[in-house]
Formats: sequence, C-alpha cells, structure tokens
Amino acid sequence: MDYEEAKDLVVAGLTKKLKNKSKFYFNDLAKLIGEKPRAAKKYVNQMVVEGVLEYWSSGSTSMYGLCGTGKQAGAEHEE
Amino acid sequence: MAFISSGYNPDKPMTDRITDIGPRKYDEFYPPVIANNKGKWLYHEILKPGVLVHVSESGDEVYTVRAAGCRLMSITHIREICEIADKHCDGYLRFTTRNNIEFMVDSKDKVDPLIQDLESRKFDGGSFKFPVGGTGAGVTNIIHTQGWIHCHTPATDASGPVKATMDVLFDDFKDHRLPAQLRVSLACCLNMCGAVHCSDIAILGYHRKPPILDHEYLDKMCEIPLAIAACPTAAIKPSKVEVDGKKLNSVAVKNERCMFCGNCYTMCPSMPLADDVGDGIVIMAGGKVSNRISAPKFSKVVVAFLPNEAPRWPSTTATIKRIVEAYSAGANKYERLGDWAERIGWERFFEKCEIDFTHHLIDDFRDPAYFTWRQTSQFKF
Amino acid sequence: MAKHETPMLDQLETGPWPSFVSDLKQEAASRAKNENNIEYQIPQDVVEDLIGIMELSYEHGRTHWKHGGIVGVFGYGGGVIGRYCDQPEKFPGVAHFHTMRVSQPAGKFYTTKYLESICELWERRGSGVTNMHGSTGDIIFLGTTTPQLEEVFYELTHNLNQDLGGSGSNLRTPSDCIGQARCEYACFDTQALCHDLTNEYQDELHRPAFPYKFKFKFDGCPNCCVASIARADLSFIGTWRDDIRIDQEAVQAYIGGEIMPNANAHSGRDWGAFDIEKEVIGLCPTNCMWMDGKELKIDNRECTRCMHCINVMPRALRIGNDRGCSILAGAKAPILDGAQMGSLIVPFIKVEEPYDEIKEKVIEPIWDWWMEEGKNRERLGELMKRQGFQRLLEATGFDPDPRMVQEPRTNPYIFWKEDEVPGGFERDINEFRKYHQR
Repeated sequence: MDYEEAKDLVVAGLTKKLKNKSKFYFNDLAKLIGEKPRAAKKYVNQMVVEGVLEYWSSGSTSMYGLCGTGKQAGAEHEE
Repeated sequence: MAFISSGYNPDKPMTDRITDIGPRKYDEFYPPVIANNKGKWLYHEILKPGVLVHVSESGDEVYTVRAAGCRLMSITHIREICEIADKHCDGYLRFTTRNNIEFMVDSKDKVDPLIQDLESRKFDGGSFKFPVGGTGAGVTNIIHTQGWIHCHTPATDASGPVKATMDVLFDDFKDHRLPAQLRVSLACCLNMCGAVHCSDIAILGYHRKPPILDHEYLDKMCEIPLAIAACPTAAIKPSKVEVDGKKLNSVAVKNERCMFCGNCYTMCPSMPLADDVGDGIVIMAGGKVSNRISAPKFSKVVVAFLPNEAPRWPSTTATIKRIVEAYSAGANKYERLGDWAERIGWERFFEKCEIDFTHHLIDDFRDPAYFTWRQTSQFKF
Repeated sequence: MAKHETPMLDQLETGPWPSFVSDLKQEAASRAKNENNIEYQIPQDVVEDLIGIMELSYEHGRTHWKHGGIVGVFGYGGGVIGRYCDQPEKFPGVAHFHTMRVSQPAGKFYTTKYLESICELWERRGSGVTNMHGSTGDIIFLGTTTPQLEEVFYELTHNLNQDLGGSGSNLRTPSDCIGQARCEYACFDTQALCHDLTNEYQDELHRPAFPYKFKFKFDGCPNCCVASIARADLSFIGTWRDDIRIDQEAVQAYIGGEIMPNANAHSGRDWGAFDIEKEVIGLCPTNCMWMDGKELKIDNRECTRCMHCINVMPRALRIGNDRGCSILAGAKAPILDGAQMGSLIVPFIKVEEPYDEIKEKVIEPIWDWWMEEGKNRERLGELMKRQGFQRLLEATGFDPDPRMVQEPRTNPYIFWKEDEVPGGFERDINEFRKYHQR
C-alpha cells in the first residue's frame, strides 16, 4: 500500500464516524489502514506531519483526529 | 510584553526543525571524581544523617551531602542551588529519585563548610531551604504528584500535605533512629501518576462522589461517545434530558459503579467531580519496592478516609505520626513497616497504631479481594 | 505588596521543612522586580496568579484546573500537557498554564551551567516554576501559554541540545538509579543502558502508537531505588550469577565493632553490639550463610541475591563478578484492575553494548505483541493477565523456566493445544462406537 492510499482510507473512515466522535485510538487507524501497527505507524506519522491528523492527549492516553474537527478545540479555547 | 521569536516560523513548522535528539548525555554532567571512578566504587558509609562517603578502589573519595528539595521548585531556588554548587562543588550536583539534592565534594575538609552553608539558608517565612538528611534508617523526602497546583483531577493537594507531613516527621529526616528506612509517598488521586502503591506509608487523594453532570453544556462541550468510552467501569451511558423545556443529549452515570477516577472529566469538562467534603485522603501502609529479605509488596489501605483539612491536614499528619511511632517502638532492626505489620499481624497493627478498623478496609474490588481474607484459624486476640 | 491575599497558604510558611509557598513568593517577587530587564513572554505576574488560584483551592477544597488535550508541539504526540484555569478573569496570568516535560539526563547529574541555561529559558518563556523532577523522571516546566510551546521547544532543541520527554500513549521518558556512577552495588551501567534505549526509541517516545503508556526503568541492584519493579512495564534489575565476594578480615572488623553495620544507617539508636548471627545470618531469607569458625561461608548456589547481607556489611561483602540484569514485565499502579508488580520474564541477561539482545529479543517482540493484541488503554501487565503468561512466552520465544513463577498452578485446567496431544483432536466416532454402545 502506498501513503496516499492509506491516507484516503483513514480520511474516509474517520469522516464517516465524525457525526459521533472525532477522536480515535491508534489501533482504530491501524485497522482502517489494514496493516500491522508498526507499518501503519509510518503512514500515521506522515499524516500528522502533513496536517491531515492531529493529536489529542489526556496526559495518560493519546488519540488522533482529523485536524480541526471535534468539540474539544472549542472547549479548550484554542480555536 | 513584545513577542520575541526564537526563530520558529509557525507557517513552516518543519523548516530547520530539530527532533528526536533525546536528553543530554549523562557523562557531560559527571563531576571529575565521578567520571574517574565510575564502576570502581568499593564501599560507602553514612558519616551522619545526610552525609555519605563513597570510597573507590583508586583511593579517591567522594563526599555527598544530601539536602531536601521541594519537587515544586522555582528557578530562583534552582539558581541558589547552582550558587551553592559553584561555591563548594565546582559547579556539579545531582537530584535523587525522591527529589533530594545531592552536593558532592572530593575531600573531607570541604564537607563541613558545605553543610554549614546549606543549613544557614532559610526562607523569609522561616523554613529551612536546604535541610541536610534523608539517609539511612530514617524518613527521606516524600515523592508526590501535582495536586491543586496543576492537576485537573486531584482529590487533595500535594505540596501542602507533603509540607505538613514533613514538618511533623522532620526529626526523622535528620535522624537514623528508625528500624529501617521509611518511605512516604503521596498521589493526589487514585490514578497515581506518582506510583505510591508500594510505599511504607502512602497518602492518597480520593474522591467519593460521582461527577456532577452539566447537562445544559455537556453535548456542546463534549463528544458523548468519548466520555462514555473513558469510563473504566462502564458506568456512563447516553441519555436524553430535559432542561428548560428543551430536549438535550447528555449522559447518565450509574452511581454505584463509579470508582471516582475522573477519567470522564479529562475527556469531558462538563463532568467535574471535585467536592470539598467528598474529597479527602486515604492512608495506605506497609509497601516496599526493595527485594531485601522479603519480596516487594503493595501498601494496604489502613484508613479509608480523612477529610481535606487545608492548610495543614492535622488528622492526616497525626495518623502518620502515630503509625511511625508505633513502628519505631515495635519493629526489629532492619524490619520494614510492612514486614513488622505482617509479623505482629494486621489485627495487632490496628491496635498499636490506634486506628479503627472499618468495613471499608476489607477488599471487595474484583477477584484479588478473596486472597486478602483470612483463610486460617490462626489469628490473635 | 502581594497581588492576592493568601491567609491559608501563609500558614505553610512556618515549620522547618522547606516551604513551597515561600519559594513561590520569592519567585513572584523576583519577577515583579525584574532586575535583569527580562522581556517576559508570558504575564509578569503569572506566579502571583498561581499563588492566588492555589489559595482559592485551599479555600474551596477543590482544584481550579481544566485539562486540555490539543496543545503540543508540532509532530509530537507527547511532552506537553494542556492546562487552563477555570477562573481566567480573576487570574489571567494562569489562564493558559501548560506543562512541558523535558527529558532528564540519565542519573540526574547536572552542571550548574546547564541548569542556569534551563532557568534562563524558563524565566523568559514560562512561569519560572518547575518540578525537579516529575514522578516519571522528567524535568517539568510548569506553566506557559500556547504560543510559547513551540518557542520553548525551538530554543531547547536549537540552543540547548535538549529534547522533550514522553506523555500519553508513548514510551515514557526512561529513568534509572545512580548506578555505577556512585554506587558499589550496581551490577550494570544503568545510565548507559537508559540513555541508549531512550535514544534508540525516540520515535516511540514522541509519536504515540501504543495502546497506552509504556515505561522502562533501570535499577542497578535488587534494592530497587527507582522502584522499577513496582512501576515499569519493563524493569531492568541488576543481578549476578556467581559468588558474593567476601573479605574475611572485614567480616571480623564488623564482628569486632570496628566498622558500623549497614554503612552506619542505624546510628540514631543504640541497638547494642553488632551480632552477625542475629542480624545477618538469621535474617538471610534462604539460610545459605553460616560461620565456620572465624570464616563467613555462603552457599552461593542457594543465595537469591536479596542484598541484605551486602547492605549490612558493604565493606566485607561485594556483588559477584558475572553481572547482568533480570528483566521483569508488567508492573503498574492499581488503576484499573489492581496494582501489579513486575513478573520475572528474563532471569538473567548480559548488559553489553550495543544491547542488541535486549532490544531484539526482549523489547521489540513484546511491543509487537502488545501493539497488536493490547486493547485501548491496556497496560502490558493487564494484557499478560488477560491472555496469560504463555502468550508472552510465545511472543518472545523464551523457554519456560521455574524461576518465572512463585509456584506452579494450583488448578489442572490446562488449555492443551491440539498439536500437544498425540493424534490431534479429530477422532472417528464410528471407531469409538465399536467399543462403546450408544
């Protein structure tokens, strides 16, 4: 799989669920991409660098979301 | 307050970006006596509380003076530490895992002037800045978490109860009278980002009320599925509520399933759980991490709840003092608090420490609970 | 004149123990004076407001902080914890008050030059309040605004050759004991291994792809001064497999009272004359020591290296020469299913640069297993409990060893696999019925 293909899968998968929630665990992304975690991580890292995905951290756990989506940004006054 | 750029360009964050360089390499910071003798140390001795000498097979000696540090520390204070290290230690120092500061010198004649300097420095309010101690069979510094200074889910403060407790245990910070070392730790909520669960005495903040639900704002500020998923005991479910005649999406909490961890509040600011009377302190005792003589063991809950009594938490400090005194009077040389409690029996522990045993102290949380009940006819009257 | 009245916090200025309140007040005063004409990049009265909101918490018995999950430095999923106060109008100086975790050097040795450079940066671009150090081991910068996060990171990396530490579902900043730098008990170079693995796994430390947090901690000996056995997903504990070295003359010096036992750790009380039978031989958990006339004997094969005798007589007894470490896996604090101690998975491994065996045979296979099988927010120890120790053996290829258990199982309910049973599970019912009527 090439990067663009992985990106399309992730963007499509997350957009579909956006109505319910905007933050996802890494394993959710790996499943969308359909690769083992270590291979999926390379694509995910690249999506963060390109500004497709952004992190959300509870301090103890990390999640991923499509950049700028979700209610957290408003709640955190960081819009 | 004009903004001054470091050189970072927010439009091109990746330009000249340096990443993944890790920490500074440890050996840049070794004082010469350490660099020269690493791996060659023969033995050590505690000359007096807070003062150690390590002797190398090369004949070199390093004298360490250990002083208390507050984990919460200003740069003004760090600069004063640097000034001391420049004056006495050629510009080197280290911190211990338990937030102490270690000043090292390479000859004995440098020790007394260093101690005098450290002990002479006081804050304007009257407390010592750098009391020397924290070694051997005594009480060392309390490791702790953030508390009210910075955390969003604490059930108690951290720095305040630590200050109050160490004031009460101060003599034992500067002495070696106990049967063995006694490690006190504090975590300000049950998530224990400071792992206190293997301490001789642990002070643990605990909430006792489920979150308050800010129904009117909940769906606006939070993503409900994330709040539900955050709950480790599956106590949260979606619900519809009516506020001022309007039907709103919100959540409902099954109160009897709530373990008061605050994970939902982390995900959803409309579910705060802090409460002035609900929150307080649990005291745990008898844990250790060392493999010495007996295996490492967990601390046990010995007081289910004490109120938050800011600013000095007198019930908490008095309970801890009683435990320390009972241990000091009863334990054998080298015996840790948990080993002492096991030898005399926990029934005797509660008697000696004058602590009431309540039903809260009998484990009823999941499978391991059974293994803590007594399955023998042997017990003490 | 202080900006906020703090009658409750003021009561924490008295008493002998160093007062954090006094310290915060001196920092507030230093910023108010600004003797060095620093161009503060966050509010000058940030510490005043920090003290103010802390006093409010003392009054209310409740925290006034909210969590923020979005802020960070670009491309890193950890190292920054977002904080906002819930009274920004009253305390504008701490409206944004984010934490940055700065990766500490192994062993926590410092030069004053380095610390001063850290202070200079944090005074200009942050609150000037730190933790030395946080629970995991990092230097904590406590409190700055969102726009300053990238600026601080840029200066750290460009000017101070210094990176951020871990948070979230990352490898957390590894930490170690003082080790061979100044301890005769250290069985391996904790700093060298800690630093090497920290650098080797920078990607895992900064870019979260784990189910949850993961911690390495390095203890040079079984005394476990950094508590690795209680809080690290992989804890490396120094040990040896040959004989404790004995200096019989020094043993006699302890017996004769010339050297104080336990390095003089019990000097605050008169415990009577040192009694080697009672204090050392009698407390040995395996009873593998005895006096043969004037000679102390140890049956080293029976020794479990608990360190007691060495701790009591450091000048007479020394760790063996064939050294390495034991590796234990799965320790964690009680949330959620109860606390777990580390369980022994590697009884002994040599600790030699470049540590390939530790990386390729232990760490990486375990990560692969946990990353694939671990549920969201499941620590390694919980996965081990859920799927069983055997699955860890399969993932790593380690041979089962009685050293890995406290005792064998007390139930016979073994989930036999088909290939372990001769003939497999498929059987012919007609063949069976030839001998057994319906």
